[in-house]
Amino acid sequence: MSPQESLSENDFQRLFAMEAEGRLDALVDQLLELEKGGATPEVVAALFREAHTIKGGAAVVGMPHVARVAHALEDLLEEVRRERRGVDTALIDAVLAGVDAIRTLIPLAVAGQEHEEAAFDAEQRLRIAVGGPPVVADKAAAAPDVAVPAPSSPAPSPVAPPVPPLASPAVPEPGPPPAPAPEHHPADGSLEAHGAADGAAGHAEPARATATEMLQIPVHRIDELVRLIGEASAATLRLGSALLERLERDPSSLTEYRDLIRSLNELQELALHARMIPVMSLAPRLRRAVRDLARETGKEVRFETRGEDAEIDRGVLERLADPLLHLVRNAVDHGVEAPDERRRIGKPAEGTVRLHAMQLGSEVVIAVSDDGRGIDITRVRETAGRTDHSAIEMDDEAALYLIFRSGLTTATKVTGVSGRGVGLDAVRASLNAVRGRIEVRSDPGIGTEFRIAVPITMTTLRCLVIKAGGQAFAIPLHSVRAVLPPQPSAMVGGRAMTMLDGRPVPISSLSAVLGTGNGSHGPAVVVAGLTRSHAFTVDELVDQRDVVVKGLGELLPRLPAVAGAGVQPDGSILLVLEAAGLIERARRMDGGDRSQEAASGGGHEEPVPQPAASILVVDDALTVRELQRSIFENAGYRVRVAVNGEEALAEISHERPDLVLTDVQMPRMDGFELTEAIRKQAALASLPVIILTSRGSDEDRRRGLECGADGYIVKSGFDQSALLSAVERLLGADR
Amino acid sequence: MAGAPTPRVVSGQLALLIPVGSDTYAVALETVREVVVDPRVTQLPTSPAVVRGVFNLRGDIVPLLDTGLLLGLRPVTEEPYAVLVETPHGTAGLVATDMPLTVRLNESVGRSDIEGTTETYLVADARLAVALDIPVLLSPARIAQ
Repeated sequence: MSPQESLSENDFQRLFAMEAEGRLDALVDQLLELEKGGATPEVVAALFREAHTIKGGAAVVGMPHVARVAHALEDLLEEVRRERRGVDTALIDAVLAGVDAIRTLIPLAVAGQEHEEAAFDAEQRLRIAVGGPPVVADKAAAAPDVAVPAPSSPAPSPVAPPVPPLASPAVPEPGPPPAPAPEHHPADGSLEAHGAADGAAGHAEPARATATEMLQIPVHRIDELVRLIGEASAATLRLGSALLERLERDPSSLTEYRDLIRSLNELQELALHARMIPVMSLAPRLRRAVRDLARETGKEVRFETRGEDAEIDRGVLERLADPLLHLVRNAVDHGVEAPDERRRIGKPAEGTVRLHAMQLGSEVVIAVSDDGRGIDITRVRETAGRTDHSAIEMDDEAALYLIFRSGLTTATKVTGVSGRGVGLDAVRASLNAVRGRIEVRSDPGIGTEFRIAVPITMTTLRCLVIKAGGQAFAIPLHSVRAVLPPQPSAMVGGRAMTMLDGRPVPISSLSAVLGTGNGSHGPAVVVAGLTRSHAFTVDELVDQRDVVVKGLGELLPRLPAVAGAGVQPDGSILLVLEAAGLIERARRMDGGDRSQEAASGGGHEEPVPQPAASILVVDDALTVRELQRSIFENAGYRVRVAVNGEEALAEISHERPDLVLTDVQMPRMDGFELTEAIRKQAALASLPVIILTSRGSDEDRRRGLECGADGYIVKSGFDQSALLSAVERLLGADR
Repeated sequence: MAGAPTPRVVSGQLALLIPVGSDTYAVALETVREVVVDPRVTQLPTSPAVVRGVFNLRGDIVPLLDTGLLLGLRPVTEEPYAVLVETPHGTAGLVATDMPLTVRLNESVGRSDIEGTTETYLVADARLAVALDIPVLLSPARIAQ
């Protein structure tokens, strides 16, 4: 690695500062264009793209507060782009104020100075600007209004930014909202209130939520909604099979049927989304715990959060509260050293505990890290060795995990909070209950990081229920690509194949793969793992259901094909299958002939000693591109870059990379178009494509997967290892 | 394994006798959570052969294990009773092919050489009961074999 490529986070921040300067200039240019010539879609789209790119860059280089302001700006412009908000002087002023605020904030962020409150204020101003009178029930009101009047109440001061510090972040209410006041808890000081605002106002639909009104809906009503949508989906599915059986008409050939299914899926996603809340809504509680414990133990600790975008099912998050509280307390109590000790070893007196959340595929990864003394592995080994001799022999990695055993503590004195050796085992047990995993890494003298990975929704996993070998199984709907009527299959090189969308897909009998029967000749369910699809014939389709998925406990080995099980209302147990494990199993059983796989688009085999895999990074933002280049090169990959889809295609045809990592918003050809273009070429059918975006909207995610991407990652932080592990997983599975 | 030590069978103690085919096994009564009659078992495909399946115990999902196979002996063919025992890794069910009974154990009549068991006891009707070593028998590693 040449030295200039091993850049530090701060170097990237400076690089970003330079890039942002140019983008902000471009934004102002476009804005003046807008003021003169009205809102042509091109100009609005360009504006939106600039804001979006700034947001992504800021998030990636670790400037969450700047990212939030840019996010608000993006949301405001999104409203204009969707013609839900007209262009008027107030809008132009608000955007200009936002631009200036970002300009002011970036140098502060680079210098490491406090700018959170200023950012918060700027963000609020932008949010307020979104709300024009007609945005009450957005969809109903949106269509007819073209020229929307300016927000009647507190118009942002024209060119604002010397943002005053915020005494009480109460949001001025725009217009006359009849509903209860916007969710704000100006309860305990500005920091806490800020955290609460993060949580309550959220980032899912913040534009409308914060600025207009929030409805407080009892969770059970949403649950009921979800259930009814599920029933409607199930009825539709039954209608489909009735069509097939009685009229011999393949329902998927009917546009109307497909439209209905699509609408139902969207409806469902939306309803499920309504139950999601930001992970960071826990931040105020954790911050308080850190502060209290630091005071109690005479330590100086700063609490940092990142990943304001990451959201998770409310039920899952509730169960994470205690484990996270425990980890954060451990970090303060065991991790961070006393100030004088820190000074003595050349660390800043103030320690840092960081909470970092990131959405990665269908999981949220939450890391709790500290810059303290790290875990003393020798001591762990000794302590555990007293009761278990095998501990003495373990390597460091294995020994580290001994800390999750019950009764183990290495703390020399028992404090009020930790050191009793009850805890980490309880943390692991609580995580098991939500199908979560925990990992730990520790560097002596440098710090410790605990990483929790949990599925975004656990309380309910939407599943397709089928029967195979006489037994009912649930397949998570997010991994179901299609359901096909009983299929003719052709043997290709000793392997059964069927066709889906004009492409061959391997097909197996589900009961044969599971070893519960000889085979089924009913419909086929096509499931998609990370990199491949596979069709499984079943006896029959039963319905769609929400399944509360539980783990199978610690006693049983991990079964890759089984994700967990749910207890049904009648008391029976429904097993939930795991697409990736199932596909892997089917492939292994097919065994012998792998030569057809390349032709099937299923993958390609390579010799075990692998040459450095090559990754094509496609992003129009210089900062992000270089950041990713540095991350991957440091990890031993070969990296090429392209600035947009067109250039990427040219690069690919020049030399096929092993994986493509692309941004969404880019000029000329965006990430979706690029993915589609790649998928259209037979030779590239198996080329893994990951879409990396700072926009975590459902719509984008669905589009990403629809156009054939293998992964969809929401970037919300400088999180190398999460990105790397996603890439490794894809390459690993494919190689 | 760490955790509260699982009580083992010793003479003079109350034990639950678990009939499996023509054999009888014993576990310390205090490790037994309850006995379920005719558990409704869901097969767990791809799991090791010792796992008969899983069943629902008031909302918890509990694995049911083939007591015979666990000991390296003949597998059971039915599961009329499940004896729920606490292990360091959670609750598990052991198949009993006949009604389990509680007895107070006499003196041990000798060590048992089956792996995962400890002593042999003489119980009523001149039957021999072999005491199970739950932490050894019901360890994840052994089940995964």
